[in-house]
Amino acid sequence: MLNIEHLTKTYGETRAVDDLSLRIRPGEIFGFIGHNGAGKSTTLKCAVGILKFDAGEITIDSDSIKAAPVRCKQKLAYIPDNPDLYDFMSGSKYLNFIADIFAIPADVRLERIHKYAAAFEMMSALSQPISAYSHGMKQKLAVISAWLHDPKLIVMDEPFVGLDPKASHLLKEMMRTHCDNGGAIFFSTHVLEVAEKLCDKVAIIKQGKLIKVGTMEEVKGDDSLEEVFLELEAE
Amino acid sequence: MLKVLLKKQLAEAFKSYFYDAKKNKMRSKGAIIGWFVFFIVIMAGVLCGTFTYLALSLCDPLAQAGMNWLYYLILSGIAIALGAFGSVFNTYAGLYLGKDNDLLLSLPIPARTIITARLMNVYLMGTMYASTVLLPALIVNWAVAGVTAARIVCGLLLFLIVTVIVLLLSCILGWVVAKISLKLKNKSFVTVLLSLLFIGGYYFIYFKANDLIKDIILRASVYGEKVRGAAYGLYLFGRIGEGAWLPALLFAAVTAAGFVLTWLVLSRSFLNIATAGGSTKAARHTEKRTKEKSVFGALLGKEFARFTSNANYMLNCGFGILLIPVAGVLLLFKGDMLCTLIGTMLSGRPGSAAVLLCTMLCALSSMNDMAAPSISLEGKSLWIPQSLPVSPGAVLRAKAMMHLILTEVPLLFAAVCAAVIVPAGPAVKVLVAAVPLIYTAFSALFGTAIGVRMPLLTWTNDLVPIKQSGAVMIALFGGWIVSAALAGLYLLIGYKIGALVYLAVWAVLLAAAAAVTLRWLNRTGSRLFAELG
Repeated sequence: MLNIEHLTKTYGETRAVDDLSLRIRPGEIFGFIGHNGAGKSTTLKCAVGILKFDAGEITIDSDSIKAAPVRCKQKLAYIPDNPDLYDFMSGSKYLNFIADIFAIPADVRLERIHKYAAAFEMMSALSQPISAYSHGMKQKLAVISAWLHDPKLIVMDEPFVGLDPKASHLLKEMMRTHCDNGGAIFFSTHVLEVAEKLCDKVAIIKQGKLIKVGTMEEVKGDDSLEEVFLELEAE
Repeated sequence: MLKVLLKKQLAEAFKSYFYDAKKNKMRSKGAIIGWFVFFIVIMAGVLCGTFTYLALSLCDPLAQAGMNWLYYLILSGIAIALGAFGSVFNTYAGLYLGKDNDLLLSLPIPARTIITARLMNVYLMGTMYASTVLLPALIVNWAVAGVTAARIVCGLLLFLIVTVIVLLLSCILGWVVAKISLKLKNKSFVTVLLSLLFIGGYYFIYFKANDLIKDIILRASVYGEKVRGAAYGLYLFGRIGEGAWLPALLFAAVTAAGFVLTWLVLSRSFLNIATAGGSTKAARHTEKRTKEKSVFGALLGKEFARFTSNANYMLNCGFGILLIPVAGVLLLFKGDMLCTLIGTMLSGRPGSAAVLLCTMLCALSSMNDMAAPSISLEGKSLWIPQSLPVSPGAVLRAKAMMHLILTEVPLLFAAVCAAVIVPAGPAVKVLVAAVPLIYTAFSALFGTAIGVRMPLLTWTNDLVPIKQSGAVMIALFGGWIVSAALAGLYLLIGYKIGALVYLAVWAVLLAAAAAVTLRWLNRTGSRLFAELG
């Protein structure tokens, strides 16, 4: 589904991501962990075509994000670490804007908006301007908009930040269901317990370089993910 | 504690003098001094200068007529209006919408100290505006009518009374603005409407000021008697400046009571005000089938939504939307006279009326520059168009199209009016209408191009990209330069080839420039947009 090969991204003199390669297959929840400034967000932004990169190749279902960005973006959804949405729209208008971009038929979008907004208890908030939303509500709206067009690949940067326990639980269920239906999820997190319970595969990044990748069992063995992570970070 | 809070309040009010929002860093010492010098020039030079002139015009005739009280009444009224309206939005933001209310309330500071600091800040801001009227008024009157101990003491009392009245009015008006803004649905449109009314009122008074002053001077005794008869309180108020002790003490007592009452009310209700939830009135969501839009339609709709939701954006970048049709109507009624006047003044340059009408319409079209800041206004939400399956070219074209629609529609009306009234053959009439329309197409594309070339994405206040960005400056002044060139070149040499050929050449040049800019947007502009952030 998502293939990252020898990705390198520099900001001036700083190498934010250094020769990183990853492969995320359909049905996989792929966790991406690392300390602050390790290069997680940069990798995710490169993967969804927001950032240009210096070297390497990223493909989504064999389409290159460099050569065919629009075709790639039609297959994916992205949620950034800080959901700065269009404050001048209401929640409902924003979702309809996203639905228009993905050409979702009116009846389908209505049904999906209802389904996800009801699940996240956002129905009554949809008429309100986004500027009046709390961080958590914006995060919920970003999640709804990501699921709205039923993408093959969902890329999320710290998706659980700001969500209440019920919404976090719901998001985890949605992630599992999405992957069980053949989709894939690539997300970064600092919450290692969540990564440990939820992910099929995990990758650890340090100073832009991939230092460990594999299935959860391969990476952590008999230890906890936290122990492995802290050990690798200390090296 | 109070001193610390007051210092913080004042630093907040003047923060743009210390902090450069565009560069996101503190200003240099030189720049800070420069900004304060500019501020003093505006306050002391422009405002004080204007009101000194007014005081000089009124004082002598009214003093000679024995109506010093009317002089003080008029100037105190102006001081109150200027002070209260000048600081009402600062009061609204500082007193009722303090962003640091939660922080301050969590610190060991008594609520009454916070409200006192806030009130002192409002008082100082209001006094600053009121002083630009009152100080020249007092000084001029003392110089003209003479100085006595009673006049000086009562004059200073009048100053205190007026500034406290300004404070009370500011608090009340700020409260009204806060209440209205919580209830308003189309806040941005109402703000635009009120701003336009204010601007209209300002210019009306500005142009009528001389007549008003003359009228007051000529009929001072009539007005004086009317005021004295109908509102004796106002007469007494004016008498304070003359050195009348009793009215001075009476009004001092009343305003002091008003101040204490306001302080008590605000102190008691401060917690409610400070912790009010804001404008999140629960609205019931009704599910309805929405009309589907094309990708371009959705992008265009987004641009219109941003424009119509932001009063600053509408007022600063879309003023032409109102002025262009007004110009069209004026042309229908006064156009013949204007064309005759131009024909007479520039009789050696035939066809000048047609070219100058074109110039006027192009200059009016330049007042709309909504495309130029539209890229910068994406700000932190830039990730949305960048992560969606839309080509950067489509995003940029939607921005240019918004500018084009908002300007071309009113311009079409004004251009047709111009074509109707211009004394020329059919071909020139067509060009008089066509050149401004083609110019607007170029202007929309150029504004978008300059916006993507000079983006400003790190703003914290949307006024920075809307008013202070290089892109907006270039789009605005560039438009005026092109308009000036259109007229200037014709008057210099263009008249030799005649208006028809001259305007046809401009039409072709502008169309070519628009085509080149569109091509640039689709290629380089799209690449630049994709790489932003």
